[in-house]
Formats: sequence, C-alpha cells, structure tokens
Amino acid sequence: MNLNFNRRHFLKTATAGAALAFTPQLARKAFAASPLTMQAAWINDAEFCGYFTAMAEGDYESAGLDLTYLPGGPDVIPESSIISGKADLALTTPDTTIKAIVDQGAPFKIIGAQYQKNPIGIVSLAKAPINSPEELKGKTLAVPPVNVMSVEAMLKLNGVDAAEVNIVPYAYDPTPLIKGEIDASLDFTTNVPYTIEQQGEKAVSFLLYDFGYKTYNDTVVVTEDVLANKRPELVAWLKASRAGWNENFVDPAVWPPKFADTWFKGTGRTIENEIFFNTAQKPLMEHPDGIFAMDEAGVAANVETLNSIGIKATPDMFDTSLLAEIQA
Amino acid sequence: MNGSGNRAATLVLLVALIVIWEIAGQLQLVAGGTLPAPSAILARIFVDRADYWPHVLATLRTSAAGFVIGNAIAILAAICFCVWPFSERLMRGVNIAIFAVPPIALVPVLVIALDGEVARITLAALLVYFPTMTATLSGLNDIDPRTADLISAYGGGRFRALRMVRLRAAVPAMMSGFQVAAPAAVLGAILAEFGSGARWGLGTYLLGSLGRAEPDRLWGIGVTATAIAGVGYGLAALVARMTTGVNRAVTMAPEPPQAGDAEHRMRSIAMTIAAIAFPFLVWQALLVISQLSPIIAKTPLGVVDYLFFSNASAVAQQKLLAALAETIPITIGGMFLGLAIAFVLALIAFAAPTIMNALLPFALITQTMPLVALTPLAVLIFGRGVAVTLVITVSVTFFAAFVVLAQGFALIPRAAFDLVDAYGANTVKKLWLVAIPASRNWLFVAARLAMPKALLGVMIAEWLATGRGLGNLLNQSRGYLDYGMIWTVALVSVLVAVALYQLTYAVDRMTRPR
Amino acid sequence: MQGLPLVFENVAKAFRIKGQALPVIERLSLDCPSGSFTALLGPSGCGKSTLLRLALGLEDAEAGAVTVGDEQPRAARRTGRVGVAFQDAALLPWRTVESNILVPFEVLGSPPPSAERMRELIKLVGLTGFEKARPGELSGGMRQRVAIARSLATEPRLLLMDEPFGALDLILRRQMNLELQRIWSQSRPTTLLITHGVDEAVYLADRVVVLSQRPARIVADVTIPFERPRPADLHRAPEFHELCDEIGSYLDHSADGADS
Repeated sequence: MNLNFNRRHFLKTATAGAALAFTPQLARKAFAASPLTMQAAWINDAEFCGYFTAMAEGDYESAGLDLTYLPGGPDVIPESSIISGKADLALTTPDTTIKAIVDQGAPFKIIGAQYQKNPIGIVSLAKAPINSPEELKGKTLAVPPVNVMSVEAMLKLNGVDAAEVNIVPYAYDPTPLIKGEIDASLDFTTNVPYTIEQQGEKAVSFLLYDFGYKTYNDTVVVTEDVLANKRPELVAWLKASRAGWNENFVDPAVWPPKFADTWFKGTGRTIENEIFFNTAQKPLMEHPDGIFAMDEAGVAANVETLNSIGIKATPDMFDTSLLAEIQA
Repeated sequence: MNGSGNRAATLVLLVALIVIWEIAGQLQLVAGGTLPAPSAILARIFVDRADYWPHVLATLRTSAAGFVIGNAIAILAAICFCVWPFSERLMRGVNIAIFAVPPIALVPVLVIALDGEVARITLAALLVYFPTMTATLSGLNDIDPRTADLISAYGGGRFRALRMVRLRAAVPAMMSGFQVAAPAAVLGAILAEFGSGARWGLGTYLLGSLGRAEPDRLWGIGVTATAIAGVGYGLAALVARMTTGVNRAVTMAPEPPQAGDAEHRMRSIAMTIAAIAFPFLVWQALLVISQLSPIIAKTPLGVVDYLFFSNASAVAQQKLLAALAETIPITIGGMFLGLAIAFVLALIAFAAPTIMNALLPFALITQTMPLVALTPLAVLIFGRGVAVTLVITVSVTFFAAFVVLAQGFALIPRAAFDLVDAYGANTVKKLWLVAIPASRNWLFVAARLAMPKALLGVMIAEWLATGRGLGNLLNQSRGYLDYGMIWTVALVSVLVAVALYQLTYAVDRMTRPR
Repeated sequence: MQGLPLVFENVAKAFRIKGQALPVIERLSLDCPSGSFTALLGPSGCGKSTLLRLALGLEDAEAGAVTVGDEQPRAARRTGRVGVAFQDAALLPWRTVESNILVPFEVLGSPPPSAERMRELIKLVGLTGFEKARPGELSGGMRQRVAIARSLATEPRLLLMDEPFGALDLILRRQMNLELQRIWSQSRPTTLLITHGVDEAVYLADRVVVLSQRPARIVADVTIPFERPRPADLHRAPEFHELCDEIGSYLDHSADGADS
C-alpha cells in the first residue's frame, strides 16, 4: 500500500518552497535549519528528558535542525502522526509498529531504540509481593488492554497458563493497587513505584524483559518516505538527541529541576517524581554503543519475542544504518 | 410555600449533604478513603492553585468555543429540520452517528485529521450538537398549532411562522438543550485535552495527575470542571426559567388533525433509502476531503471489505459477535435504568424542587467529572462486574433525560393542574392524572437522548473497568493500530445506537394516544 | 370598499385516521355574497371549522372549489383583506395585548394602525388598561376579546369567525354582539360566523345555515328578516323567539338524523 501524503503536508512543503523562492532571508534561515517534527509517546515527563536537555543545550540547532516537539497522549497514536504527515518521526512501542507493518502494510522503519529494555513490568505491593510470573497465578492483574497480548506472551514463555491470572483493564490510576482491589498492575516500573511509596506503601516490580519478553520501547520510527527524503536530518536528530541524553544522564537529578517552569510546569507531577523516573530509566537506556543503539542481539531478541506472540517481525524492519553513521 | 423559605430549605439540605460527604471523607468511609472530604479537595485546590490557572483558562477557551460553535450549528440545523422536515429524515442517521459515536473511537481520528486546538474544539462542539439540536427541534415543532394557523391565515409562510412563533416558542426547550450542552462542552474539551497531548487544559492536568494516586487532586480537577459547566448550566437555567413561565400554553392544545398518509409509498421508501445511504456518503466525503491515508481512514467499502472479504474477516467477525453478545443485553438494561432514574429525579424536581435544587450540583459533577477519574472509586465500591457497568451507564444516560423531562413537566399548562386541584388532588394524583400523560412526548425525547448514550456508557465501563465486550475490543484494536476493527466497532456501535433510536420512534408511534 | 364574496362549490374534504378516510364534508355548496352576514350552525364536530379552514387556505379541498373574491383562498389571504378570529384565542403568550393585535400587520408587512386607532380597538373590546398585559394574565373571555380586536384591526373585507364569543358570559356576549353589529354595519365585510348559539346567529346574521352531522350537508338555509340596526331588545321580541325555535328544531333534527 502506498503512503498518501495528506494535504497539510503538501501545503507545508508548498509554503516552504514559496518562502524559499521569494524571501531570501527566510530562505537562508530555512537552509540553515531544516524543519523536523517529532511525535513523543506521552505527555511531558522524564521519559523525554533527554530531548528537553538537547533542546536546552542547543544540540538540535547546532546540528542544523529546527525541531518541533509534539507531546503525546492516550489518544495520540504516534504511528498515525507519521502516516498522516503530522510528524517526521515518532517514538512508538515496537509491537504495535511492527504489527502495523505486517498487518496493514504500513511503510515504517525503526531507526533507533530509546529503551534497550522495555520499562513495562509487573508492579505489586511489598507487603504482598509478586516477584515472578509464576506468582501471578490466582491473582488479579490490571493491564492496559493494549498490553494484554504482551502479558499473555510473557506468561506463556514462563509456563503460566493465562487463564490462571485474572486480567482486568488498567486505567492509569494506581489507586486500586494501593487499596488492594487488584494484586498487581502492568505499568512503567520507572514511575509507579515512586507514586506507591508516596502513598506510604512499598512497591516491588519485575520487568517483562527479564522474563523473556525482550523488546525495546520508545522505538524511533519513520516512514520509508521520510527516510529517503530526510536522511541527513534524521541522522542529525539521532546524534543531537544522543548528546542530550548523555548530558541528562551525567547526573539524573540535575536536569529535571531546570524544566520545572517549562516542560514540567503544571503537569500534575512533582520534580522529585521526574528525578526518580530519570534515575530509574538510566540503566534501561544505556548501551555500550550509545543511546538508541540496536545491536544484532537486541534486534534478534525483539524479532524472536514478537514472533512468539504471532507478530511476524523480521530484522529488516530495523534500519541500523543511520546509527552506524553517527557511530563513525 | 414561599420562595425565600424554599431557598433556605435548599441551602440547609445542600449543607447537610456536604456535611455528610465531609464526614464520610474524614472517616474514610467510602472505599477505604478513596472518596476525599470536600475540605480536603478545597485545600488541595488551594495548594495547587498556581498550576490551575493556565489549565482552567485553556479548558474555558476550548469549551466556550465548542459550546458556541456547537450550539450555533445545532440551532441552525434544527431550524432547517423544522422548515424542511425531509432534511431531518435525510440527516437522522448522521445526527445519531454524531451522538452515538464513542469519543474513544473519534478522538484519535480527530487528532490526526485536525490540528490540536481545532480537534479539541471540534470534539466539544460535537458533544454539544445533538442535545441542543434535539431539544430545539422539539421546541420548534411542539407549538400551539393554532398560532401557526394564525400566521398562515394572514398569508405568512413557514419562515414567517418560524420567526414570529416557533423560534420564540422554542426558547425554553433550547435552554434545556443548553443546560445539557454546558457540561457536555466542558467534558468534550477535557476528554480531548486528556487524549490529544495538549500542553494545557484540565484534561492534561488530569492525565498527569492520574498516575499519582491522589484522589483529592482528581476530585479537585473534577470540581473545577463542574464549576465551569455550572456557570453555563446556571445561565441557561436562568433564561429557561424567565421564558418558561411566559411560554406556558394557556390551555391544553388539542391534538392537531392527522396529517394523513399524504406521502406516496414510493417516495417514502426512497426517502428511507436516502436516509440510510446519506451518512455513508458523508463519511466517504469527509475522508476524501481530509485526504487521510487509507491505512488510517477506512471507507464504508473498506469496512465491508475488512469484515467480510479480508484475511482477517473470520477472526474479526468472531470477535465482534462475541463482543456484541456481551455488550447488547447490558445496554438495554442500563438504558431503562438510566431513564427510570431520570424520571424519578424529574418527579422530585417537580414535586419537591427544594430537594432537587440541593441534588443538582452533585448530578452535575457526574456529567463533567471524566469517568476515567471516577473509575478507581467506582471499581472499589462496585467491583468489576455488572454493577459497575450499570452505575457508569446510568451516570452517562440520566442527566440529559432528566433535564428534558423536568422541562416537560414545567411546561404543563396551569389550567390542567387547576382542574385536578379543584378536586383536591394531592401531588401524586397530579402527577398521575396530568403530569405523566402530558409529558409523554418529552419522555420519548428523553428516551431518544438516553438510548445511544447507554451504549456509550456500557462501552466506557468495558473499556475502563470490566475489560469485556465492544469497549474493550475497541481499545485493544486501537493499541494494535487495527484500523479496520476500530472503524468496524465505531460503525457497529453507531448502527446499534441508530437501531435503539428508531425503536423509540416506533414505540412512540405505536403507543401514541388517538 | 366592497365585501369579498366567498363561494364554496361542491366542496369535499376527508381526514385520514389510521389510513381510513373519514369524510367530513361531502359536496357542499355555499354562496356568501359580497357584504352578507352568514351564520353557520351545526352539531359539534360536523365540519364547520373545516369550512372556515378551507376558506383560509389552511386546508385544501379534495374536490370542488373555494373562491374568495375572484381568487384562491391562499392568494386572497395575502391581500390583508381577510380577517380571522379562531375558536381559541390563539394569542402568542409572550406578547402583550397590543403586540398581539399587531401580529397580522407584521405578517402582512403593512403599516401598523395609529395609536388612536389602537386605543379605539382596545376600548371597543373593553380592554382599556390591559394594553401591556400578557395573555397569561387575562381571563379566557378577555383573551377572546383580544382575538376579536385582532380580527377587526386590519379592517377586513371578509371576516371569518369561529365561535369568537364562546368563552364570554351572556351579558358580555350580548354586548359584544351589539358592538360587532355596529362595526359590521359601518364597513359591511362579508362575514361567516360559526357559532353554537342560535340566538346569536339569529341576532347577527342575514342568513343562518344549519349543517347536518358529519359529513356536513346543508339541512336548512334560513333568511333572517329583521332590519338593521337591530336593537338590543330584539332578543325579547316574539318573532325573534319563533325564528330561534324554528332553527333550533332544524338543529335537533340534524343531530338526530345523522346516525340513521
């Protein structure tokens, strides 16, 4: 299936062309900084701290990019943003992206991975801890409907019959877990334990990744079309973003407070929460080859995991050539 | 009875209810303290006050724009439908689709097709449209037929009658529409902010706060949203009260002569076919205009292809049928329950306005507090079974039906009550002999508002709490970018809603007294 | 200014209820010449009001023709030369008495009556002091009088009245009858008055037409010989009573006969 550019994209291009033709100053500026739009996966929180740092440090500007940052949300399907031409690249979950490639023929390529280890995991209270898939038997587990397949796959990989776990929908709020209405929930392990501790409970968690469900998360996805037409910009973005993340991880407690009145203002979350998140995600993102790396073993693990839940992933869906360019 | 005495009684009752809530909150009586005390909510709003302003301003702007635009379109549409009744039949499918399409299916498409703020205003306007359009149309049509005759008798056409009689006569009904529309606009703005990645807005604030397990913050946001909606509701209610007294018919209008089967059968069939086909044409046209990728945007034929001729169709059909089997029965139960509760509330509003005025702020909270914020509380109290589904369904359905019914009771001519008063009838007798028969038409208007919403309520409960049925299927499909299934579920839910809507029409016609 | 003649020629009309045709009027002809005053009497539900609605073009005849002057009813009513008072006052509840009287002028787009003429009209129907009252604040009789003032306000050449005095007490009714006669005599519009009151019909009309039960046929057509102006005490004259009795017997007969 071919990608249809929407009219907005066309207009944007046409306007840019007109600007180039008629206004020399603008033309120079446009030449100096290529516009690039990224679609984040969620609203502003520490998950995207590295990009904020890169912007604050001017990394994108010095890489020749004029970056537009779009926050995500529950109804923003990042892949949709790049199909519709609203954004050039998006941070996605690899299972949905690859499922869209396989089932819908969506022309996507994964060009990097923010999280080497997917931060989603099973969170439970320390007073009734659940430390392994085995212990989920007979328990009530809240899972966002999107992730039910992943959880069922993880259970299968560990020899647990999914029918033995009572899976109910999870709607963003950990209150039912804290009040004991459910025994565990699937959430970002980088985040929810902090909330639970704020409510005077201790949390334990384990990653799905550590029990055989080895996927990346916040994979950097572009359409084949953008990959062909904006390759230099994408490489520049990977390089600048990596610089931002590296700076951010020098001390995970330094940057979040600096965004208290900008990116994190009025988000309903505290800066302490963001520092906790930022600290917790560091080991999930770091890789000897640098942030976003997708080594052969990692890609192979993703492909194998996704195939185990019936999503026919292949290694060619991961394009590591851009990363290779910034490695050099 | 005197006015100031009633107001005092209302105030006492309202304070009493708040005190009960306060005690329940302080002693953590409800769901292990998940329901915070009013004082805790207010204290939390005070603590968070610096955060609130930009969010409140954004929500105000979006909901006000949606309210104005949605109502303007609704009133214009109602006028067209009144002047050219065939246009109402042609648009009926589109109207119900707008009303019945679940926001959880709609928002992702809006977010893709439109720019951020435009998408949010559009959702608010879409939620506003149907209640105002329905109420206004029934107000325009439900006039004393003799006054329209008078205009005709002096050579006035339908536009003259529209200007001199119908528009003015419709004001109270229009206002009852606005009363439903005000919370709907706020809810629409918040839902869109919540989903669309808006930087500011109470919905954004809610989303950021959800994961923090702080009910006092969530309730603070809900109460703030209710206050915004309350202003709109209050203004509309004020205008409604000022106009209703004057508008009240002086005597009961006789049943208008039957128009007769003037319409030719062939024309009638053609009209029905057109009415069914029209929404699909609009659907196709919107997709052509928006130029969305065919991966995202499924055309009517695309859905048929997906459901019947694609590789996935067998699985899709099986999933869909299983989901429908879970969703439909509880929808029917929920809609009767919601309607019954609306009726009881309208009776209370009629027989004991003092009590109703005190209950109203709490009713309004259920309309503007996004369900996603209430779900933990609902789940903790009612579990994850049929009960929680019914509770959520009722909370979605009752309000619009209640407002319409209360307005219907208020418009009953005084003379009708004077008659039964003369025989010493008590309030119950008054209701039984006059109010209930006289509000019959309004009951059906209320039912038409409640029916499609009931399906929506069940789907929301399935999505948030029970993880079953059509709502869950829709949410899962969203996660897997299974656009074929997303559009199929949206289409099926609209079709079910249309079927229920037409059912009320049929029952209305069958039971209409001659 | 001449009164507009009103002619019903072989008119038929039926209503459909649950798909079944219910004939209301069958082949009825009635000629109201220019400047005549015709009263229609008949049992309830016999189709009197339907005749009036046909004359106004509010309903279309299924057969035959209705002519006002030399025009179709729909064309005639636009000229402003047709006045109507409905059985129920049909006032707009949000308008004042004065403003309700102005409705026909607004619809016709003709200049409103002078303040003096308005005062006169309101005085004529005995509502002086109630100019700014709304219908909800008036009694049933007062509302009907507003409707009468409204029907007269445009100085119509054809006046159609459907039981305009129905809600008035006897004294007021006689008083209004007297006034109506006076106004009518001044300008002599062609008048069709639907009424239940035999004495009212005899007192006001040149001619009383008695209709049968549905479907309406003319069972009697009685010319009223009394000279105008007719004094108030005509009501006590023996020949008045004789005529009333005669017409009353036609009416009784028409009510009996219909069922057989």
